[in-house]
Amino acid sequence: MITFKNLSLVYPNGTPGLKDVNVTINEGEFVVIVGLSGAGKSTFIRSINRMVSPTEGELYLDDENVLELGSKSLRKLRTKVGMIFQNYNLVNRSSVFKNTISGRLGHTGTLRSIFNLYPKEDKVKAYENLKRVNIENYIYQRADQLSGGQQQRVSIARVLTQDPKLILADEPVASLDPPTSHQVMQYLKRINREDNITTIVNLHFIDMAMEYADRIIGMRDGEVVFDGPVSEVSESTFEQIYNRPIREDDLRGSESNDGEE
Amino acid sequence: MNEILPPKPNQKKKRLRNWLIFIVIGIIYVWAFKGVYERADWSIFNNLAEKFDRVIPRLFSPDWAETEKVWGYIIETIFIAYAGTLIAAILAVPFGFWAAKNMVKSPIWNTLGKWILILDRTFPELILAILFVITVGPGPFAGVLTIGLTAFGMLGKLYAEIIESIDMKVVEAMEANGANKLQILFYAIFPQVLPEFLSFALYRFEIDIRASTILGLVGAGGIGTLIVIAAANRNWEQLGLILFGIIIVVSIIDFASTKIRKRLV
Repeated sequence: MITFKNLSLVYPNGTPGLKDVNVTINEGEFVVIVGLSGAGKSTFIRSINRMVSPTEGELYLDDENVLELGSKSLRKLRTKVGMIFQNYNLVNRSSVFKNTISGRLGHTGTLRSIFNLYPKEDKVKAYENLKRVNIENYIYQRADQLSGGQQQRVSIARVLTQDPKLILADEPVASLDPPTSHQVMQYLKRINREDNITTIVNLHFIDMAMEYADRIIGMRDGEVVFDGPVSEVSESTFEQIYNRPIREDDLRGSESNDGEE
Repeated sequence: MNEILPPKPNQKKKRLRNWLIFIVIGIIYVWAFKGVYERADWSIFNNLAEKFDRVIPRLFSPDWAETEKVWGYIIETIFIAYAGTLIAAILAVPFGFWAAKNMVKSPIWNTLGKWILILDRTFPELILAILFVITVGPGPFAGVLTIGLTAFGMLGKLYAEIIESIDMKVVEAMEANGANKLQILFYAIFPQVLPEFLSFALYRFEIDIRASTILGLVGAGGIGTLIVIAAANRNWEQLGLILFGIIIVVSIIDFASTKIRKRLV
């Protein structure tokens, strides 16, 4: 369970990131955060694993106030929180497998990881997770030889190898084409269902948010302006969140059947 | 066609400035060449052809009997360059990180690292060589220290620039999954920088081979020692052989290193 209590964040240059946010996210929920760019979606997500540091309020992750953690306990917390990025953030020159097993870093001793001495079950886990996202054939390829969608799947496998309780995905499909976007979202959704991993995704595409979310949180100028189950959401809700009429480019487009490969 | 673009501003001023520059440079040229013409001692050219005739043919008829001796010194030269570059390539890694903006948060601390490398680069090679010959005595060890210290300054700066150009997003991803600093170093930073580090170290090795051939001029070991002796004795056949050997070795190493570096990055 994640609880935001009167959480605010002001960046060092004076720009406000979050303004008095109060939200509770329950275990196993699939939450999509929508809003225009600059609305504070990224700041919201990154506050949870303290990639940015909120300046006021409290943020509880399983009864632990994230804002009070020292660097060591913060690292421990981060091992439980998987993060997926818009640009996949893989090491280009390393193999798919090495990228995947790096999800275990937080669980592995420094010397062991430097000399690649992972326990057998960790290697099995990494391979199983690659299979789960159907990318196991590329295991020994360099990450930069894969397409964008494939790289994002590797980054999902990396996050799964972490054994996370929570997955944060920051604009995971913004660099992908529509069919690949749907594929990535489907993997995230399936993992959320099968493993009961709480998942929070930032999106700015309305149709995708409607299709995959259990619950939608709308943000504008650092404030939560909407929070409710997807059944309560209509087009006018988005117009209220975006504070303008819906446009063509707010939609990702429907899924076509001829997938990526 | 001319009306498509708006007129350029200050045409007149610019043209005047260019003419002024042109005239000033012209005056300097005339003055310089006139001075050279009036003061040069043209008599040195009188028997130039004769002198060349005496030296050049002998340079081109190397004394093959000396091959073994020359070869020994060339090997020593290569070893000096190798040992020196190796020391520099390793020593430059921590200093490269120290001088890289994205690795050291405190700007003062970071600038200090940069300044140490700049300071190191201000020493001319031969001056360093003379200093080491005085402190550790003449011989190849002084040469190794000289090469090591000069190459270190350049490699440190290049390493720092490589580190500053890495993709920090990968570092962010590792931070987000709970990796510690050392793990981030080995998993996110080294894979991005090591091939480039190696490539620059090899490139520096090429330079150091050439640099170490002249270290012997001040007694810091290598083939240069032999060059000084051969030139002093007017033993042009031996000097011819030395030059031949240097050209061959430098070409081979340049060629090999270029090939290897192409494959690295």
